[in-house]
Amino acid sequence: MDDLTEMLKGTLEGCVLEIISGEETYGYAITRRLNELGFTDVVEGTVYTILLRLERNGLVEVTKKPSGMGPPRKFYALNDAGREELGRFWVKWQYLSSRIDKLKEGGR
Amino acid sequence: MTFWETVTGSDLTREYKAFEVRAKALPADYREAWEQIKLHLTPYGDFTGRNLMPILDGALGLLEETAGEGQSVHEVLGADIKGFCAALAGGEESRDFRDRWRRQLNRNVARKLGQLGG
Repeated sequence: MDDLTEMLKGTLEGCVLEIISGEETYGYAITRRLNELGFTDVVEGTVYTILLRLERNGLVEVTKKPSGMGPPRKFYALNDAGREELGRFWVKWQYLSSRIDKLKEGGR
Repeated sequence: MTFWETVTGSDLTREYKAFEVRAKALPADYREAWEQIKLHLTPYGDFTGRNLMPILDGALGLLEETAGEGQSVHEVLGADIKGFCAALAGGEESRDFRDRWRRQLNRNVARKLGQLGG
């Protein structure tokens, strides 16, 4: 499924919010989680740009923690605004997926 | 930022040099990606390129972090470095050329109209 990333783009932000909502985590772990889910085309750079946007929009709290190697890692956790945004994402997703399913079933 | 730095941009040169020192410590494929990133971010720069500094700093940080984890640069950035840069520059902090032209055009038209007494 090569072109899956294209379709995924609009919803990737919601996916990342959902992953962060579970527990405080960092870019590499988020990318791995998405890869495990089957989104193998997603690379850390993509996740990084999404995290930047989430940070800019004030949806996450960022803490720097030392890592075993290299520079300190940035960890992300949802704040209240982020949790609200995640709620809105799932409402929109529900709407979208139900409409598309309907279309496929040929219903009106 | 001091007044002197604002006028001469001397702080930018210093910051840029510091970036290059950090970039030199990266593995070869990462250094190549860094060159690409700088190239593709240039169109998003303002007159001095000051707006790009935090973006470059962040991108370099990502490269350092992931190189430290032993990932290949392709695993990190994929094939679309240009797209990565566009996403990096996206947002209010960095306006691209087109926005600037549009603003300039709007300003000029407004001035012309003003002169005509419109």
